[in-house]
Amino acid sequence: MNAEPIDLVEKAIEKGDKLGAQYIEARLVDLKSNTSILKSGVPELGAIMRSKGIGIRVLKDGGVGFASFNEMTKEEMNIAVTFATKMAEASGSRRTNKIAFSEEEVHKATYQAIGHSGKRPLQISPEEKINRLINLDKIAAEVKTDAIVPFRFFQMLDQTEKKLILTNEGARIESETDLLQLFGLIVAVNPNTGSKEQLMIQKGKAGGYESLDFWKIEEFIEKEVTTLGKIVTEAKEAPKGVIDYVVGPNVIGIMCHENQGHPSEGDRILGREGAQAGESYLKQDMIGEKIGSEKVTIIDDPTLVGSYGYYLYDDEGIKAGPRHLLKDGIFQDMLHNRESAAFMQTKSTAAARAIGYNREPIPRMANTYLSPGDFELDEMIEDVKLGVLMHNFSEWNIDDRRYQSKYVGLEAYLIENGEVKHMVRRPVFETTTPKLWGSVDAVAKRSLLEFDAATCGKGDPMQGAPVYHGGSFMRIRNVEVR
Amino acid sequence: MIDKLDTENVIDLTIKKLQELGFEDYILHTEKSNKSQIRFADNQITIVKNWASMDLGVFAVKNQKTVAVELQDLTSETILSSIDSLDKLVSSLPPNQNYMGISDGPFSYPSIDELSDPDLIDFHEKALDKVAASINAAQEEGAKRSAGVLYWDATKVQLISSRGARAEAHSTKYEYTIRSFVDATSSGAEIDVGRLSSRIDLEKAGRKAGKIAKMSVGGVSGSPGKYNIILAPKVAGDIVAATPVAANPFSVEIGFSWLKDKIGEQIAPEFVSVYDDALLPNGLGSKSFDDEGHPTGRNVLVENGILKGFIHNTSTAKKAGTVSTGNAGLVFPQNTNIFFEPGDYSFEELMEMSKDKPTIYLTNNWYTRFTSYADGIFSTIPRDGMFLIENGEISKPVRELRISDTMFNIFGNIKALGKDLKQIKSWEVSIPTFIPAVLLEDINITAATS
Repeated sequence: MNAEPIDLVEKAIEKGDKLGAQYIEARLVDLKSNTSILKSGVPELGAIMRSKGIGIRVLKDGGVGFASFNEMTKEEMNIAVTFATKMAEASGSRRTNKIAFSEEEVHKATYQAIGHSGKRPLQISPEEKINRLINLDKIAAEVKTDAIVPFRFFQMLDQTEKKLILTNEGARIESETDLLQLFGLIVAVNPNTGSKEQLMIQKGKAGGYESLDFWKIEEFIEKEVTTLGKIVTEAKEAPKGVIDYVVGPNVIGIMCHENQGHPSEGDRILGREGAQAGESYLKQDMIGEKIGSEKVTIIDDPTLVGSYGYYLYDDEGIKAGPRHLLKDGIFQDMLHNRESAAFMQTKSTAAARAIGYNREPIPRMANTYLSPGDFELDEMIEDVKLGVLMHNFSEWNIDDRRYQSKYVGLEAYLIENGEVKHMVRRPVFETTTPKLWGSVDAVAKRSLLEFDAATCGKGDPMQGAPVYHGGSFMRIRNVEVR
Repeated sequence: MIDKLDTENVIDLTIKKLQELGFEDYILHTEKSNKSQIRFADNQITIVKNWASMDLGVFAVKNQKTVAVELQDLTSETILSSIDSLDKLVSSLPPNQNYMGISDGPFSYPSIDELSDPDLIDFHEKALDKVAASINAAQEEGAKRSAGVLYWDATKVQLISSRGARAEAHSTKYEYTIRSFVDATSSGAEIDVGRLSSRIDLEKAGRKAGKIAKMSVGGVSGSPGKYNIILAPKVAGDIVAATPVAANPFSVEIGFSWLKDKIGEQIAPEFVSVYDDALLPNGLGSKSFDDEGHPTGRNVLVENGILKGFIHNTSTAKKAGTVSTGNAGLVFPQNTNIFFEPGDYSFEELMEMSKDKPTIYLTNNWYTRFTSYADGIFSTIPRDGMFLIENGEISKPVRELRISDTMFNIFGNIKALGKDLKQIKSWEVSIPTFIPAVLLEDINITAATS
């Protein structure tokens, strides 16, 4: 990092102290990212993004102020710190219940999560990146299938983020993280009926271009597009009535994220996101309450090496570790930053994340998954009389208290008398969160555990956070399908 | 020591470097902005924010290869090294066969009223008072707690292209959302957006949110089935306006639109006409030039229910055998403001028109997602006050329902349009949309089974 921005971060802390800030944090983020966009094989754009800025957050008189700037001058820094302090005072003076930050251990640390040598984002030539992407499109276009694949869109995005966080409590966290993301939208069409099916692809991982090999991306695209073609040409009507579902890592992941991750966010529970992402069906006094069956343990762990949501210290400098959102079906941990923790008279769970220098750190998920059980997949299926094996999903949504959710299956098969039969089209799973977690009676073993990447939306202005979510397989009993 | 560059230095330095490296065409876009926000929850301010930012965007072309750079790090060192990287990138790309040039200038630009208000530049103290008044108004209507956000900014944009476009614009805007609660499941929301401080009425928004929250107390789970639905403008701005927004050639080409091969078809009743209108006074999407520096205008999308055309930049227009509509974005055409011709009906008349069928009134929604964009199959979740209409009147609050239908049914089954237009920009509606309340006929409603 250039010497002067670091100097400005240090000076900002001094300035905040001089102005009487109870707490001030200054966060310098230097982001270098590159992207390529390919539309049906044609390179629409190659782009380079570079940003460097400092975000300042101040707690004073029970109020919080935030300011950011990207012109690296002492004048801009002074304006930002003065503004954040003044606005903390002005808003704090109007509050009856003052904002406080929880007391936490102060850390100084440096860590990295970077790509393999020679595979880092800035080490790979643009030519190599675009050729790999063009090849993926070619694979998708040439897959042997009875369907046609006329719509193909790919975007690859890499980034290297260097971050320095200082606080007036003495925290100093320096980190460097590489991320790689691949996004795709592919639509297959049945040439006889015109019926269409879409596949959204999102792959993401901390690291460099070695991730493409980790994902076996060429094989993955070929397999997924082949399956998409089968869905649109072969799948039959999904069963109705009271049936069982066996769902795979992709479906478990989104369920863990939407039905348990979001409602466990401390700020939502306090109503701080009420006008945007909403509140929560969970309340503070529900900690210890049984939400799901004893088979359901849902963990959010930022420290999973190589994960898309990876960090070791959050954006308030708190040391991260696994959070048990549900443990054996019991609501245990929330996702807290220091503000939500203080309101609930507890400790931060190191969930504060800010996506960019110009965003405030708020409670977020990182890598959320269903803890594996000990079932074989065959064992789970053989015990199902009538049901659906759902590998992944297309449409989904959930109300803003995270209580009623809907998931529509993409690759899905009929299960009849313990056997997997033909493909079924768009099976719908529309139920409540307690019904979902309360009906799980079997979870598959660790060797079947997989993760998917996603961009989690929350905050205002929007903060799209890279996250992982996943699981192995789980069986959900007696779901009514209309 | 890092040099501090002003906008003119940034532009000169960038153009010189692009020309030196032999880029044939380029568009430079600079933005200097000061943005602020007040957020509140549980009736109290949670944070006040300010962002000062100077950004540079460059779109450049060499040998029909298209590249771009976005910089929020405007030192001469970063600018020069980024343009060098751009040159390396351009040499590695195959040609973009979809690129067919940028708009040829010079141009004269339309003037638009009510784009900028100097009173919004130093607005923090007034803003705090207005937010407090809005929260109080919600409480007076019966809300126990309110959460929300007021955002405002002042922005200066400059654009220069190698094809002779030179443009500059100053603008201000504000966006306000308040969501009020009586209890965990009884809530109401309202927005207020625009460009002029004299138009701000946060108190009115608070009163409306509080009133809806109070009306929704005691709601019961609704039953799935076919319903007529009256959409408040906030909901119509999402799911009714989605169809004119899908009239975008880029979306069609990637399978994100349900309007492929639909131009010339009747997709709505005859009384529905919709425009992309960049020239609306006080419109949050209003602007006199697009991202190529091409002058903007008013473009018909749907006329008398017939899909008339798509929005275009120079490349998509040439491919379609037409001319740019002044909707260029850096990669794909972008809407400015979506404008629905209003109808003749008051809200009471819309309720009266639907008195013979089971009818639901939705005040807000969120989380619209698609099983298939290309077929327009989607669902969305009503949020906040939702009411059964019986005998032409609001009878009782209902909850826990979901619209699960197709965009063709939503747009094709418009039965009537209200007469009062409201400008919408919100969590779900990213493109500013002027739309009234809308009555839809025979829409599919589902519910969680347990």
